[in-house]
Amino acid sequence: MSITSLNGRRFAEMIIQGANHLSANAKLVDSLNVFPVPDGDTGTNMNLSMTSGAKEVQNNVQDHIGKVGVSLSRGLLMGARGNSGVILSQLFRGFSKSIETKASVSSQEFAAALESGVETAYKAVMKPVEGTILTVAKDAARQGVIAAQEHSDIIMVMEEIVKEAKASLDRTPDLLPVLKEVGVVDSGGQGLLFVYEGFLAELRGEALPAISDNFSMDKLVSAEHHINVQGHINSEDIVFGYCTEFMVRLEGKKTFDEDKFRLDLSELGDSLLVISDEEVVKVHIHSEQPGNCLNYGQTYGSLIKLKIDNMREQHTAIVGDTHATLETESKPKKEKQKFGIVSVAMGSGISDLFKSIGATVVIEGGQTMNPSTEDIVKAIEEANAETIIILPNNKNIIMAAQQAKDVVSEQVIVIPSKTVPQGMSALLSFNPALEALDNDHTMTEALSHVKTGQITYAVRDTVIDGLEIANGDFMGIDEGKIKVKSKEKLQAAKDLLLEMIDEESEIITIIYGEDASQDEVDELAKFCNAQFEDAEVELHNGNQPLYSFIFSIE
Amino acid sequence: MSIELKTKFGQIDISNEVVATVAGGAAVDCYGIVGMASKKQLKDGIAEILRKENFTKGVIVRQENDEVHIDMFIVVSYGTKISEVAHNVQSKVKYTLDKTVGLVVDSVNIFVQGVRVTNP
Repeated sequence: MSITSLNGRRFAEMIIQGANHLSANAKLVDSLNVFPVPDGDTGTNMNLSMTSGAKEVQNNVQDHIGKVGVSLSRGLLMGARGNSGVILSQLFRGFSKSIETKASVSSQEFAAALESGVETAYKAVMKPVEGTILTVAKDAARQGVIAAQEHSDIIMVMEEIVKEAKASLDRTPDLLPVLKEVGVVDSGGQGLLFVYEGFLAELRGEALPAISDNFSMDKLVSAEHHINVQGHINSEDIVFGYCTEFMVRLEGKKTFDEDKFRLDLSELGDSLLVISDEEVVKVHIHSEQPGNCLNYGQTYGSLIKLKIDNMREQHTAIVGDTHATLETESKPKKEKQKFGIVSVAMGSGISDLFKSIGATVVIEGGQTMNPSTEDIVKAIEEANAETIIILPNNKNIIMAAQQAKDVVSEQVIVIPSKTVPQGMSALLSFNPALEALDNDHTMTEALSHVKTGQITYAVRDTVIDGLEIANGDFMGIDEGKIKVKSKEKLQAAKDLLLEMIDEESEIITIIYGEDASQDEVDELAKFCNAQFEDAEVELHNGNQPLYSFIFSIE
Repeated sequence: MSIELKTKFGQIDISNEVVATVAGGAAVDCYGIVGMASKKQLKDGIAEILRKENFTKGVIVRQENDEVHIDMFIVVSYGTKISEVAHNVQSKVKYTLDKTVGLVVDSVNIFVQGVRVTNP
């Protein structure tokens, strides 16, 4: 049988069949949707658009194909939804325009109309994105025109069109990188193919199966995996660990009801896909108990083609692999630096300060939580340098640093900095261009350029340096000597500043600790500005424990 | 004016120009747009289709309080469903800005300034 002339009635049937076929497969199209926005609604949108067109056609069935085309065009425009829907409406608007005046069309006219639809569709876009429904429509129409030159039979032309549309669809991942990344074909293109397949089936007088032949489980599974991958980042976050795929040959043990089957399985996991025909049902599911899924499947018949993957293992392997390659790649590249600086700091703010001015490694530690020699050795190794300069920033740590020096093979210089300001001052005078010994010299010298004041509180009653101090009093320490005391934190701070600052002081740096409030800091800054007009005041949040304020006076 | 994003390593300032370029680029990916119209066209009275290289002239990024609003002036193709094309542009622009800039847009307002008739 061959069809050399297409009239309105037959065309209307083609449209309806195409719409039905698309409708039956809308979910698959949805699952492929990654471009332009991966919102998984291409199939739904195309289906709504096409259905709207088909309805309009159904209400206007007549012999004149041009008039059917007008109805189709109008229906599609009214119902156009989403990008693909709009493109679909344009494809058939151009198509209809081209056959508007004709009562019936030949194979050549039919192919030319498709081509004209593509032209219209391309004109309506500023920047055509290839690898989409546009490309599929274009390739298919071009093939149609070629085929129509040889065949007057529209069925044969349509066969060629479907074949080329399929081939073009398979090429879409090469044109649109995002598709390749995800491993799917273009959703809009797939939707168009379903429409064309519907056309062909009608022309051949065949009924299409509800689920298309060409639809492969693989395609669905990879789309489903894609959706799933997006949600999971950590291996531990995978709720359902086993990717389970199996087929059941239905053997009448139980009457098969696809909806019930799907519903029951959905209790056992996610990413569920169930596809069935009369004999076989294919299942893909991510489950924590793959065994239960198989047992359930077995109640309907015998199992064929089983596959279960542990996705956590796979995921960890992937993550682990990338990690490993990164490490091997980065290790040889990371050469030993000439100098590495290890600093000890208490409080995250101070640690950040040190890093910002050039410390390679900062060990958290200080009063009451001194780092051990081992900690320092570890830090020296981490610093990965020929010469390591250590800033202990506490007199109790200088010893540990000296010991660490004896343990490691690298050249180690310990700058005897007893306070954080001293350490900073020393670090600021570090010059990577100088030799190790010169740095040792200048950095040690820098220690004496800075005066350190600290405000802390007493933990018991005592008498030190002639001052009677009660538990809870705030003490002002100037270079290790307790100079002032007060019940008030701020008063102690002010007294200490007055004590320490003289004519030659230029920069006052206030590092405030975790127990200093913003108001206190503001007040202190105001006090400094008013009292010491010539000096510059700098504020830093050291976030250190125990010491409310650390002053560095240069 | 610029968009400020705070990260643990510091601050990132993204100028409105960048946001406009990204938004414009996303919009032209959408089907049915045949051009961006200059926002000044109301004054000029001519719907001049902007060339690709300066399509951002048809994009305005506004910041009000903490909200980001984008106005886009577009020219659509004759025969398309205008509401749908506009809606596609909105979702694409919103999605792209969120993905590439990490910017959540509060509104994308579309001004259809013209229709280009290709085959009357």
